[in-house]
Amino acid sequence: MDKPSISGNTITIPSNLKYLVDVDEFIEGFLQDCGIDESVIADIAISVSELVNNAVAHGNKSSIDEPIVIAIRKTNGKVTITVTDQGSGFDPDEIDDPLADENLLKEAGRGIFIVRALMDAVDVKASDKGTTVTITKAF
Amino acid sequence: MQLTDREQDGVVILQPKGKIMGGPDASLLHDKLHEVIEAGNKKVVIDLSKVDWMNSTGLGILISSYTTLRNSDGELKLANVTDKIQSLLTITKLVMVFDTYDSVEAALDALK
Repeated sequence: MDKPSISGNTITIPSNLKYLVDVDEFIEGFLQDCGIDESVIADIAISVSELVNNAVAHGNKSSIDEPIVIAIRKTNGKVTITVTDQGSGFDPDEIDDPLADENLLKEAGRGIFIVRALMDAVDVKASDKGTTVTITKAF
Repeated sequence: MQLTDREQDGVVILQPKGKIMGGPDASLLHDKLHEVIEAGNKKVVIDLSKVDWMNSTGLGILISSYTTLRNSDGELKLANVTDKIQSLLTITKLVMVFDTYDSVEAALDALK
C-alpha cells in the first residue's frame, strides 16, 4: 500500500509517520461526530498518536510496506480503539520507569506510560500475525 | 503544525500552532529549535498558547531543547502552557524540570 485507506470504522496506513495526521483526522472526526467532550477527544487522540508512533518505529520498524490498522468503535458509553502492527509485541510492564530520576531527562520512552495514564484500560496481545494494542476510554 | 518565530529583548520566541504528534511537523519544531540554539541564542521562550495538544514526541523535543540550552549556559522558558499540556507535564513529572509562565511577557521578565 502506498497511502492510507479507510473502510468503515477502520483506517489502514503504511508505516510512515507522515500519516499520523491522517489517523488523527479519522479518529478525531469519529469522536466529534459522537459528540464527545473535546478534552476526552484530545486524550484519546494523544494516546492513538503514541501507539501509531510505536507501531511505526518498533512494531514495523518503519518498513513502509508493513501496514498499521487502526479501528475504532463506540459502545455503551465508552470508546475502544485497536492499533495493530506486524511486530512481535512488547511487555508494557518491562518498559523503563520514565519517572525515575535517571530517566526524567530522556527524550523518549514515555509513550506507553502516557497512554496508560490517559486511558481507562490498555491491553497488548501479540501473535504470529502481529501485535494489537487495545485502549478503552469512557466518556 | 505551523511555526512562527520572532526576537524580543534578545530572546527568541517560538510559537508552534496545532498538534505536535511526531512525523515531519515535529521535525520542523525540533530542527528550528536547534537551529536557533546553534546560532548562538541562549534564551528561548516557547509560546504554547496555540498548541492543541502534544504527545511524548513533543515532550522529547522540549527536553532536547532544555538540555541543549542548559549545556551551553542558556535557558528555556515555556509560556501559556495549556491545561492539556500542563496535565502531561504533571503526569510525567516534567513539571519539575520546566519553568512555566502565564504569558510570554512574564517569561521574558524572568529572563532579564
